[in-house]
This record gives sequence, structure tokens and C-alpha cells, in this order.
Amino acid sequence: MSLFMAALRFQLRLAAHSPGTLQVWATAPLFTAVFLSIAEHADRTDLTSFAVVAPTLMGQWALALGIAGELIAEERSQGTLEAVIATPGRLSVIVVGRILAVSLLGVTTMAEAWLVAGVGFGRWIAVPHPVVLAAALLANAAAMAGTASIMASLFVLMPSARIVQNTLTYPLYLLCGVLVPLSQLPAWVRPLGRVVFLSWSADLFRAALDEAAVSRPAGRIAVVALLGLSGYLIGALLLARVLRRVRRLGTLTHT
Amino acid sequence: MEKYGPTRRGATKRPADGGARADAIVVEDLGRTFVDRRGRGAGEVTALSGISLRVAPGEVHGLLGPNGAGKTTLCKILTTTLEPTTGSARVLGLDVTRQSRAVRRSIGLVFGGDRGLYGRLSARENLWFWGAMYGLRRSELRARAELLLERVGLADRADARVDTFSRGMKQRLHLARGLVGDPRVVILDEPTMGMDPVAALDFRALVAELREEGRTVLLTTHDMAEAAAVCDRVSLIDRGRLLMTEDTDAVGRLLSRYERVVAHGVSAGLADRVGALAGVVAVRHEADRLEAETELPSATASVLAVLAGEGVHRVSTARPDLAEVYLHLVGRRGMAVT
Repeated sequence: MSLFMAALRFQLRLAAHSPGTLQVWATAPLFTAVFLSIAEHADRTDLTSFAVVAPTLMGQWALALGIAGELIAEERSQGTLEAVIATPGRLSVIVVGRILAVSLLGVTTMAEAWLVAGVGFGRWIAVPHPVVLAAALLANAAAMAGTASIMASLFVLMPSARIVQNTLTYPLYLLCGVLVPLSQLPAWVRPLGRVVFLSWSADLFRAALDEAAVSRPAGRIAVVALLGLSGYLIGALLLARVLRRVRRLGTLTHT
Repeated sequence: MEKYGPTRRGATKRPADGGARADAIVVEDLGRTFVDRRGRGAGEVTALSGISLRVAPGEVHGLLGPNGAGKTTLCKILTTTLEPTTGSARVLGLDVTRQSRAVRRSIGLVFGGDRGLYGRLSARENLWFWGAMYGLRRSELRARAELLLERVGLADRADARVDTFSRGMKQRLHLARGLVGDPRVVILDEPTMGMDPVAALDFRALVAELREEGRTVLLTTHDMAEAAAVCDRVSLIDRGRLLMTEDTDAVGRLLSRYERVVAHGVSAGLADRVGALAGVVAVRHEADRLEAETELPSATASVLAVLAGEGVHRVSTARPDLAEVYLHLVGRRGMAVT
């Protein structure tokens, strides 16, 4: 069994016993309701799909980032980190497999948000480009896993990296066009947002829910995947360096 | 200090050249220091200093020492989770620093205690995951997990969550986890810590099986009885230094050789008389309390006779603990312990 698939399955099994991991299913409908209420109040029903896309990405990113940090902290606290490091398996592969599992679970928040819009607000959103949406969701989940794995190396190095983790949630949602399209944000923000996969994913999701034809879908999905792959490579490199450092300093098990 | 040739269990023989090339574990002048940032300013703490050790293939080698002696630090270096500061260590000829990934393919690490397993998963799921880290194919992994669960007596509880297991069951699962990669070298770090006596006996039987399979086992413990029961040779370690490496029987004899007599109501003059008896190797006298270390059984009898003759009745005898035996050994062999 490949280590990647084993890690993915492992995390799915763990998720079934970890209600904390699944809290995003409680928050996504609430965010959806808030965003839809704002859109309704502003009489901007054209933004309904935005109100579905944002909670999906927010939920997935929160899950991915949360597990990226917690898995290292948990491995440390239950004494498994050292045993994992003593095996020939690559920690970076385990990390990305486990994060991908929760990212994929997070995809279901889109269905949840869609139901909230339909049942709660009578706004049943059509999906004119289901293939693009499905491909974008998958690419986005992979990119989430790759990018969030960078966090894992920080947690190996600094058990108190939760502050960094927290700063990578709401500011990113705002700066990467998760809530408001990047094109609507100030010009100076856009270059920053464009190097983060979230902005590409958000645009793709919104385009897939729009009647108009999606321009260059394959290319845009490839950008999401490539940005995610870059994140993974950076994460793997950092993790390898950090592990060398903690082996040298003897701080692997420090909490 | 090292003795080559057949062990008392006949399981391990060293080649005539000393086995330098064939040794499963070779540690040479190994040292490890840590920066201590507690208190004011940074200092250095020495965990290991100048350790040299060889373990033959198929040997069960005990690493004995009190808590904080450096046993776990040595295990960490051998399992590549910690780099040495000085010296070198090789496992099956592979350098633990430069060829760490290859070393990890050949070793299995087993901790003692409750930690080191995924409590929310079942025993079977734990083994599947750990086995995947060794690159086992799915069918091979599943078959091996079943075999190991059977072997450690957990087949009936294979699907139960590990956090419902007793400590003994967790320890058996630890051993199964350590063997899932089919390692040639197994490192057992305080494997019976917290185990009940029955579970500890079962565990010893499992270690004996590992020997029969030709695996090399390095077992750390502070329990002399445990080491005597399962090891071919033991190394005594204290304060980061290796004091000696001997056949297990030899260390057992050393332990039983020394005895301590403690008496109250003893005058200074009487203490001097006791100190002068043959076989009394050390005497401490404070207020009216006497503590005499004897080296021969007859010496203990002589001390008791002298004390009884002078009307001293508050007397007790005891075997020294391992640390005290270390001190005897250090004194006898003229080694310096910092």
C-alpha cells in the first residue's frame, strides 16, 4: 500500500472518531446564512453563488490548516512522532496524505452550503458546468493539502506555531478573493492574491456556477494544481530541513 | 571487557577477528551533549560520553542503567531520531547519520509505556498504518499484520480501539508494531515499563523468539532481573558512560556477590573493628549508624557475628542496587565516573 494512500485512509478513519475535525459542518451553514443574509439585504441576489463558494473554501482551508498543525502536535503528545521519524516513510508524504483526507471531507461543505441557500433562502443554485466544478474541487483539495503541509514543518520546529496558523485564516480569505473576487479588491492586493491558489479556486468555483462559459478552465485548474504542488514541494523541503535541525538539536519531542 | 565466543545461550558467536565487520551494531567513541537553557545562561549537558559498543548479529544485548543514564539517548541515535555530537554509530554497517534512511529500513523501535500508538484506531489499523511506512504492499501488509496480531496474542482484540487496551496489551502491540517492517535489528527501549509480572514474562518469551529468528536485539532496562532473563550480554551505563560489557551471568554473579549490612547503636570503635574484617570493602559510620559493604557471603556472617557479640540487635542486610554495584565495579576496575 502506498504510504500516501495509507495516510489518507488513516486520517479518514481517525476523522470518524474525531468530532472536533468535523466542526466545519457546523460552521459552514452559519457562514452561508450570514453571507446570504447580507446579499439579500443588499438586494444582490446575483451574489448567491458567492455566498456558497466562500464558506466552502473557508471550511476546507480551516480543516486543512487545522490538521496540518494538530497532526504534529498530536503525534508529539501521543509519543508517535519519534516512532514515525524512525521509520523509512517520508513524513511529508504522511502529512500531505492526511491533510488531503480532511480537504476532501471538506468538499462536502459545498453541498451543505448549497442546501442552506436552497432550503433556507429559496435560492436553488444551478450548476451549469459540473465537470469544471468537480475538477476544480479536486484540484483545490489537493492544493489545500500541498500548501497547508508547509505549516507542519513550522509545528515540528515551533510547537507554539498556532499563532502563525491563526494569522493564515481570515487575512487569506480576504486577500485571496474568497469572499470578494480579487478583481474587486484594490490593485495592490491582486498580485499577492494571485500567487495563492485560493484566489484561482474561488474564481473557478464562481465561474462553474455561472451561466456564462468558463474561459480556459483546464489552464486555470492546472494553475491551482501547480500552485498546490509548489506548496507541497516547499513543505517537503522545509520539513526535511526542520527534521535535520531537530535531530541535530535533540528537540524532536519537545512540546 | 568484551567477551567473544558462544554466549551462555549458544545463540551468538563472534568471528575470530572480533567481528568488527560482521557486528550488527557498532558504536565508536560516541558522545552527545545538549544545550541546557534552563536557569540563567546556556550550559551544556552531557548525555553520552565516549561510548564504544559492539553487538553481534543475533545477540540480545541489554543496556542496563538507572534513569537518566543515557540509555534512551543511545537508542535515539541508533534509530536516527537524534544525531551524535561526536563519534559514530553503525547499524548493519550503515552509518546512522549519513545513511539514516537505509538504517531506518533495517530497524524496529519499540517503546515502553502507554505512548507511541494511535489510541483511536484499532490494533489492526495501527499495524496497517505502521506497515505502510515500511513500503509494504497491501496484501503483504495485511497478511503480516494478521500474523503479528496472532503472535502477540491480540488476534481476538484486533478490531478493538487501542485506547481500551490494558498496558500489557499495548506493550504487545508495540512489539508487533516494531516488527511490522521485519527488521533485522530490534531496539526495545524500556519495553516492560509498567507491565504487570505476567505480561513481563510473556514479553520475555517473545524476546526469546526474536533471538531464535536471528534478529539482533538491543534492550534497555533498569531491571537487572529482566536483563538476566533475556540477554546474552549486558552493558552497564551510568551518567553517559559505559562502565562495562559482560556476559549476563557474570553481572548476575557480581550482583549476588555484594551485600550490605546496616546497623544502629554502633560505636566508632566497633565500626573500625567491622571495617577491619576480611571481605568488608567499605564502611560508613555516622552518629551510631553503620553501613558496611561486604564482598563475600562469609564476610556478612562475620560482620553479623561481631555486631551480635557486642549486643547490637538493630541490624538488617540487603543486596545493593544496580547503582551500588556500578560503584563497586568502578572502584574495582579503576574507571572514572563523572
